[in-house]
Amino acid sequence: MRSFFQNLPVRALLPAAAAFLFSSCDLLEFSPNDHRAPESERDLTEKNLTRLLQNPLPAGDTLRFVFTGDSQRFYDDAEDLVKSVNQQPGIQFMLVSGDISDFGFAREMRWVNDDLRKLKVPYLTVVGNHDLVGNGRKAYEAIFGPRNYSFVYGDTKFIFTDTNGREYNFDRTAPDMTWVNKELADRTARRHVIISHVPPQDEDFDPALRDEYAGALREDTRLLFELNGHRHAFGISQPFEDGVTYINSSSFESRQYVILTVWGDKEFRLKQVTF
Amino acid sequence: MGVVSPAPVSRVDPGNRRPWYRPSHVVLQTGGGLGMVAGGAGFTLKDRLELDVLVGYVPEKHAGSALSLASAKLLYSPWTLPIKDKWSVKPLTVGGYISYTHGTINDEKPNQYPKGYYWFSTDTRIGPVLGSRLSYALPPTASGYARNLSAYYELGTNDLYIVSYAQNRKSLSPADILVLSLGLKLDI
Repeated sequence: MRSFFQNLPVRALLPAAAAFLFSSCDLLEFSPNDHRAPESERDLTEKNLTRLLQNPLPAGDTLRFVFTGDSQRFYDDAEDLVKSVNQQPGIQFMLVSGDISDFGFAREMRWVNDDLRKLKVPYLTVVGNHDLVGNGRKAYEAIFGPRNYSFVYGDTKFIFTDTNGREYNFDRTAPDMTWVNKELADRTARRHVIISHVPPQDEDFDPALRDEYAGALREDTRLLFELNGHRHAFGISQPFEDGVTYINSSSFESRQYVILTVWGDKEFRLKQVTF
Repeated sequence: MGVVSPAPVSRVDPGNRRPWYRPSHVVLQTGGGLGMVAGGAGFTLKDRLELDVLVGYVPEKHAGSALSLASAKLLYSPWTLPIKDKWSVKPLTVGGYISYTHGTINDEKPNQYPKGYYWFSTDTRIGPVLGSRLSYALPPTASGYARNLSAYYELGTNDLYIVSYAQNRKSLSPADILVLSLGLKLDI
């Protein structure tokens, strides 16, 4: 047996055997679309929400959060973003406006989480069009959670909705207007914030639902603003000239983000940060 | 041994070579991005050069939809070293694969996207592999071909993981993009 292990060719097999023992689950990938992951890297939306709600925001207190988006394939920038955000005082969480991945792979979503889990605050995501490529929608659901969800933090209800109509070949299912209308009609919170990836004025938004979506937002008297990503550039405007403010996030590689501070009924301040 | 002694392992007798287009072995493997289970046949193109053609399967619960994968792997193994008795090893196999995945959920309907909307293919992957193989010599086949049962591993990756790593060498490590195949080959 001793001579067997002293044999050079056999020794060549040992590193592989060791690699297999240490991380066989991750290494033994069945397909890039394989979305198996350890329990600690699944249902991240729920885990981050649990963390957020452990530090509840008393009614009337000022809300402050970081808004960014489009982390896709910008892992080195993600590391620097985390360092910068961790130096911001008084923020309660970070929002990422979709395109967590580039190719819709769970492995990419987990790479992003490897960086963002080092944030001192929880982070929450909305699904982007790149997260829906291939089998991405199931990978996103496994790693993060539902494509439509909401929560109330302090005085504000945050509504996350999938507006990536092109990924469903404009079949009028995204955004899910029945769900969006129900969420907006809820009057328990003082104000509403809606977050989606593709903005309604974009050509990747389902054209059959554009007016209905913009109209629903216009009629919600509690709506503070709509937050989007997709365009990889910061912007704030009222594209429909109807009093509804749309804010588009910077992407990770543009090395900027914004801090939004919210108080009163609809007061907010926006600060751009470069890192 | 009998009249026919086991031929030197994995060395096909030059005088007794089958044409390249006749399968020389069957393959069964797991992982490597080519299926939870993948099986198929392989061809010996030249003495050290093989082409394995596999069909793989991933059940819905692991990938969101049931996937069928067709793949072809070209493998070059420069050395075969005897260990003892009937055992031998190929310490190095290098190669590459191409795979096609059928059954993804969002499978790009005609006119769904403007031309060039996504620069990458969602269903065709290519990638390098590197591995080793341990073989045990079984009695030769009836027609006199050497016959080995081999176990192998291959470490590989794919085009999209390579692009991800190449642009993020601070945040990602080569280990992050590796995938492993484990498999068996039987000469026929």
